[in-house]
Amino acid sequence: MSELIEVRELTKEYDMGKITVHALNGINIEIKEGEFVAIMGPSGSGKSTLMHIIGCLDAATNGDYSLNNEEVSAIKKSKLAAIRNKQIGFVFQTFNLLPHLNVQKNVELPLMYSGYNKRKRTKMAKKVLAEVGLSDRLKHKPSELSGGQRQRVAIARAIVNNPSIILADEPTGNLDTSSGKDILSIFSELHEKGHTIIIVTHDQAVAKRANRIINIVDGLIKDGNIS
Amino acid sequence: MAISLKESIIVGFSDFWSRKIRSIVTIIGIVLGTMSIIVVLALMKGINKKTLEWMMERGGLSKIDIYPDWNYDNKTDAKKYFDLKELKLIRSLIPEAKYFNPQIRHWVRHSYEDKEYRASVFGVLPDFSKIEEWSAESGRFINEFDINQSNDVIVIGTKIREELFGNKDPIGEFITVHGRRLQVIGIMRHRFMKNSGIGGENALGYLNRRSFIPLSTMIHKGTGEDNIRSFSVKAQNAESAPELREKLESIILNLRHGAPVFKVESAQERAGEMAESQKTFQMIFFIISTISLLVGGIVIANIMLATIQERTREIGIRLAVGARRRDIFLQFLVQTILVTTIGGIFGIILGLSLLDIVSKYLEFELIASIEMILIALTVSAGVGFLSGIIPAIVASKLNPVETLRYE
Repeated sequence: MSELIEVRELTKEYDMGKITVHALNGINIEIKEGEFVAIMGPSGSGKSTLMHIIGCLDAATNGDYSLNNEEVSAIKKSKLAAIRNKQIGFVFQTFNLLPHLNVQKNVELPLMYSGYNKRKRTKMAKKVLAEVGLSDRLKHKPSELSGGQRQRVAIARAIVNNPSIILADEPTGNLDTSSGKDILSIFSELHEKGHTIIIVTHDQAVAKRANRIINIVDGLIKDGNIS
Repeated sequence: MAISLKESIIVGFSDFWSRKIRSIVTIIGIVLGTMSIIVVLALMKGINKKTLEWMMERGGLSKIDIYPDWNYDNKTDAKKYFDLKELKLIRSLIPEAKYFNPQIRHWVRHSYEDKEYRASVFGVLPDFSKIEEWSAESGRFINEFDINQSNDVIVIGTKIREELFGNKDPIGEFITVHGRRLQVIGIMRHRFMKNSGIGGENALGYLNRRSFIPLSTMIHKGTGEDNIRSFSVKAQNAESAPELREKLESIILNLRHGAPVFKVESAQERAGEMAESQKTFQMIFFIISTISLLVGGIVIANIMLATIQERTREIGIRLAVGARRRDIFLQFLVQTILVTTIGGIFGIILGLSLLDIVSKYLEFELIASIEMILIALTVSAGVGFLSGIIPAIVASKLNPVETLRYE
């Protein structure tokens, strides 16, 4: 399997006026296509920052990040938007659904930015919502759903454009144990279908599902970057 | 890959709809501003039409009036009237003029049997009827024969007829005017034009209170003076009137050795001047309405900026799922333009429906046109563009990571 993600000596600094916060202090990671990786670490360790950079939402201060053998820092912003749209699917701890849109419209959102027409969007959204078991909730608003259902909508939105990488930031953090298990099962299924999955978590139970665990402490890899 | 304009409009609409109450409050300023633009423009158009109607009622645009300029405070002894000899000379110098009518006016008592009515009597030529485009509705007007013979005849306005004769037919009867017995040969057509303004009456009522006798009768059998203070001329058409006016002005100035004691006024030019001064008013009113729209626009810009703060997380989500900055920019700009355009449409509808009410209240016709609807729509969309562009830039410049962290 080829290297999908290759991170070399990555640093991230936040300029907070008088002091500079070093969120990442020289990270090295390789992730192959089709892997299921858990990034673990205590809060403030920089794991979310790393996920944002891998997800092309944020730029590193220094170091190299190549995605599919392309150096991300050299990619134009509008192209990065296209990468976020087609190659990456995000799942957040707080679901991040648009409250005034119904379930189906939320899932259609990435497709709208891909330029699909309405008919195609509806068809694709319905298909993935069936996969996560929400065919009967298409017209519901997020506020009418349980936490587990909301996270399933978020997963449907993440996979609707069939991205190669799914990035999840504490996806079970706001869920009860049983819903959390359901969500993790979905990730396992997606992994079996060939998606590359990267989950940021501090929950051991979540990490157990992964076939590799990367530990980050104070912006540095402690262990785990061995395939 | 891109979000289309159509898509932006749909997103804008659903945003508008999902925040109904706020959207309605937001557009009130625009609704009122557009409404006032429509009413003001319709009012202006009504005034223009009325002015032109007035001009046409008073003999049309090819008419030229010559009368003493009482504002000219001269120490010279230049005469402020013409005698018959001078008028004959003037007439011979302007053969291109179609009609020519000198007139003398006196304020006198008209009496018939035991009834009396005080009114203006005018000594005129037959051309008067042609210049004013006003003729007798029964009987006849003064003719050349009356002038040559200095006949003792009179044509009266409908008000004089009503006061002296009531329902009786006055044609052929004799009335006494300033102590002289004159035979009524005609009654002038009744004049009426609705006056503008609240409780407006007949704007042309004063014309019905006039009577007309041959100029020669007035001079030779009346006072014996031929002091003629004013006369009117009709050019071949409205276009040639200004040229004729200039010529007349220089002829009269020469006759008075350069003392400008007479005013020479062409209806065509006067209409032009009135249109010019109305344009100024029109501009002022239009600017005031536009300022009120801009105030509405500033309110909208403010609300949009507040909305962006509130929607920071939404912007972050959109960026995360693949929106480009220009998609965000377009979304907010289109939404603002949509809001103001919807406001504009409501304002236009409200303005148009107000026209009838305002019309009835002012008793004055307000005229709507497609043109003013387009102006109002363009201005309201323009205000949307101006007030939306800064919030849209702000929204599109947000940092995706921070927007996602925003609570």
